[in-house]
Amino acid sequence: MKRIGWGVFFALLSGLGIGLLYAWVFSPLRVVDAAPVALRADFKDQYRSVIAAAFAATGNLERARARLELVGDADSVEALNAQAQRMIASGEIQQADQVAALASALAQGVAVVLPPSPSVEPPPTANTTSPGNDAIPTSTPEEISTATSEVAATQPVILEATPRPTRPPLPTLGTPFTLTGQESVCNSNLPDGLLQVLVLNANRRQLPGMEIRITWDNGEDQFFTGLKPELGNGYADFILAPNVTYTVQLALGSEIATGLTAPTCESPNGPFSGGFKLTFQQP
Amino acid sequence: MRSNRWIFIVIAALAGIGAGLAYGWVVDPVDYFDLTPDTLRADYKADYVLMVAEAFNAQRDPGLAARQLAVFGSQSPTAIAAQGLDFARANGFDATDITLIQELVTALQAWSGLP
Repeated sequence: MKRIGWGVFFALLSGLGIGLLYAWVFSPLRVVDAAPVALRADFKDQYRSVIAAAFAATGNLERARARLELVGDADSVEALNAQAQRMIASGEIQQADQVAALASALAQGVAVVLPPSPSVEPPPTANTTSPGNDAIPTSTPEEISTATSEVAATQPVILEATPRPTRPPLPTLGTPFTLTGQESVCNSNLPDGLLQVLVLNANRRQLPGMEIRITWDNGEDQFFTGLKPELGNGYADFILAPNVTYTVQLALGSEIATGLTAPTCESPNGPFSGGFKLTFQQP
Repeated sequence: MRSNRWIFIVIAALAGIGAGLAYGWVVDPVDYFDLTPDTLRADYKADYVLMVAEAFNAQRDPGLAARQLAVFGSQSPTAIAAQGLDFARANGFDATDITLIQELVTALQAWSGLP
């Protein structure tokens, strides 16, 4: 009887192992009904990009926020800013602008309310669950309800119940920036002729993806904030040639920093070319 | 006595296999990450189509919309948008949203030349 007990025990363990091996390795559950949080990183980028494009078209911040929650970023603003920088680096300027604008709107909590549409009516039902919901008993059905029909259903109520608020200015829509700081920098630890530019919004939050135009006698160039995120999302820099006078302004419109010639600085090792630090801020 | 022993062992093995399958498929199935968009649940797909439709409504660029929908894989963008429209109609999406998706479907049909 004792031998039977051990035999049964080992048979049970072997069966358990075989069952787990089959269920986890040879025939795992087929992936259907996945949520956006499980998407690969590049597809998440695409998902965020489309969210930003939809936000750029509708201005519906709450809907964009609900959709971003589905992607599962710990910090949506940071994720959007980082994506905007990647897109700028890869030349997707227009999409990067949309992504950066959504990040800014989220950071400021600016809700842009659409004009009411005469055809807008609450849906007959608010049920957006799919047949596959029973298979995954998670919170995602509630989330998607928020992302689709609930937001849509409450939108006309908001529009009818409250007067349209005055739309606060968005940071990237052309409000002129002011030059709030211009100082020469003599630091031998920095590269010679380093021009540092910092772009801030009205809340002193650094703005990525801002185009900066720099001109001199025989040419011009442009550079962008946010390409060195380790130094700040609103930071950009440029190397000034010696004995050349530059003019700097933001492409969106700003006060102009003129007469920028790399100063000659002194150090124990001899003279070197200093730089400048410019700060642009929305009023 | 000997045959009884083997019966118990076989029954135990079958019970173990059953328990393993139940645990591996139901209690703690394999977690998936790095998935492709074609695995998204139908309502997420429909919401994605709605996002594309909202963007299309402003940009009027069917080529861009088609590229955005192409992430879903082998189906044509028109078919993907049409599936989103069906889901939206069947699940009580806002009338404005349904109209946007309908316009996207129509534009993609005209753009691709496919019904």
